[in-house]
Amino acid sequence: MATNAVGLFHAPATALAAAGELKGAGFASLSLISPVPIKGVEAVLGKKKSVIKRFTFVGAISGGLFGFALAAGTAVLYLHPTGGRPIITIPPFLIITYEMTILFGILATVLGFFISARFPAMRERVYVPEAAVDKFAVTVLCEDDARFRRAETILRDAGAEEVRKLTQEGS
Amino acid sequence: MQAEDPNISYADVNRDIVRSLVETGPKYYVTLAIAFGLTLACFFFPWFYQLNYGLGAAGVNHPSVWGTYLASFIFWIGLSHSGTLLSCVLHITKSPWRKAMYRSAEAMTLFSLMVAATMVMVHLGRPWFIHWAVPYPNQMELWPNFRSPLLFDVMAITTYLTGSSIFIYMGTIPDFAAVRDRTTGWRRHMYVLLSLGWRGTDTEWHRLGWAYTFLAVLIIPLAVSVHSIVSWDFALSLVPAMHQTIFAPYFVVGAIYSGTAGIVTVMFMLRKYMNFGKYITKLHFDNLGKLLLVLSLIWTYINILELFTGWYSGTSTEYEALTYKLFGYYAPLYWEMILFCAVAPLLLISTRFRTSFVPMLILSIAINIGMYTERFLIIGTSLSRQYLPDAWGLYVPSLVEITILVGSLAMFVTLFMVFIKIFPSVSIYEVKETLPEPEDGVAEWQPTQ
Repeated sequence: MATNAVGLFHAPATALAAAGELKGAGFASLSLISPVPIKGVEAVLGKKKSVIKRFTFVGAISGGLFGFALAAGTAVLYLHPTGGRPIITIPPFLIITYEMTILFGILATVLGFFISARFPAMRERVYVPEAAVDKFAVTVLCEDDARFRRAETILRDAGAEEVRKLTQEGS
Repeated sequence: MQAEDPNISYADVNRDIVRSLVETGPKYYVTLAIAFGLTLACFFFPWFYQLNYGLGAAGVNHPSVWGTYLASFIFWIGLSHSGTLLSCVLHITKSPWRKAMYRSAEAMTLFSLMVAATMVMVHLGRPWFIHWAVPYPNQMELWPNFRSPLLFDVMAITTYLTGSSIFIYMGTIPDFAAVRDRTTGWRRHMYVLLSLGWRGTDTEWHRLGWAYTFLAVLIIPLAVSVHSIVSWDFALSLVPAMHQTIFAPYFVVGAIYSGTAGIVTVMFMLRKYMNFGKYITKLHFDNLGKLLLVLSLIWTYINILELFTGWYSGTSTEYEALTYKLFGYYAPLYWEMILFCAVAPLLLISTRFRTSFVPMLILSIAINIGMYTERFLIIGTSLSRQYLPDAWGLYVPSLVEITILVGSLAMFVTLFMVFIKIFPSVSIYEVKETLPEPEDGVAEWQPTQ
């Protein structure tokens, strides 16, 4: 079971600075826990990539194809000729296509969010309740006690109000 | 800055909003009991009566086979429009004043849509066959007719309801987590489930930001399509004064207009009765007032256009339908609509008016009365004055219809009152974003390279 050093800070800028120091000292598995999104995280912890847009794109395209197939397919299955007009009527079927494109795009976006953010959480993870109110926490995974002490020193030097040792799985 | 009190801290925001969820006074229970009682007495009881005795209990008959049920359907769909749509637009344009009010506005969307869907059920003579509108393989080998605007409605409203529910839920996940830590008992269990294990890590915020923005981008065209499609229920018929190309933008603008007025009403109630005065400020009323003013002008312009093109077409049926609307049996309602939706909103030119809470409340209610009238007139005047004079006839709503209209309002209030005790009705994390960041004088970290 890995050990996590968790430093609690009053200000986001200080927490970011501490995260930068830890990164500079060779700690790789770093995370910031905060009550609001912190501006400038990517400049310190590196740029994040999200796969959500791919989910949205694939979902929307699939939805469009499904929508048209649904409207056209059911029209062929149950023939209902109207005034000599074609059975597969493009303008009204495009409306169904449009709605299904958006519906599937939305559902796929949610799926992408759940997968990429690892929701719902199935096991206990490092959590700092104060970070849902007004504290900014920096968590860092430490392989052994020596690394924990090193991380603790950096966090305290950076201005942490408190440093905790948490032994939950993951980070 | 959004808050009126510059000394609000992050902890204050948590405390105030959690308090609104867990501290419930007798006034709340009394109001909820009245609203719920009215829903039962004015909505479900008359509906049950109508189901027992048939649609004859409603005032609809040839030629006016559509009545207040469908007018209410359009009204509630319209009211649903501004919530999520406005929230999405303001999110994408990064407007900070959105943050204190969007959650309740989105809830308004959700519950209006639910009430609208129920109005369709009431309108149906045999609502137990509603599933026939859903495409599924069945032993009769029947499929819905996707060329019908009614099926467009089914698909659009289902999508909008799904999208709006997901959008409000996604935006609330961090707040559920914040509330989870401050509650006990069944509430805590509920918020543990709803928050999905949210911790607020940088990765979670990043993913939420992307997903939320994508949802907003998808929902904006969806919202526009929904009310356009509702307008096609009427515009794709051949009824004079309904069969018009301008109907889609007319409906969309009208929907956003009535929805924005609805937001003003809801904001007033939250401010007054949930003690959110610190978060819902004059700034919100001022901005919503400006938006209402612009929308009222666009709405007035489209109304003038509708009259002009009808008159210019020179066809007798169109001309008859228009003159009937302006000077016929329903004319007092038409001029009431013009007074409430085109003339009275001109008061919004004044900053003093826009930042006065009670006048804004009165105006917002007046606008929605006017907008309900508009929906009634679209159906009432058009169907009662079709091509042949021997097919003309008046439509007057029956007591059952009027009662159900009152009941639908009570149902909306009931749903909303339940919502404000489960969902934080003001976004905790987004209000915090509008506050100054906490500082402690430590220099920002600079990359070494």
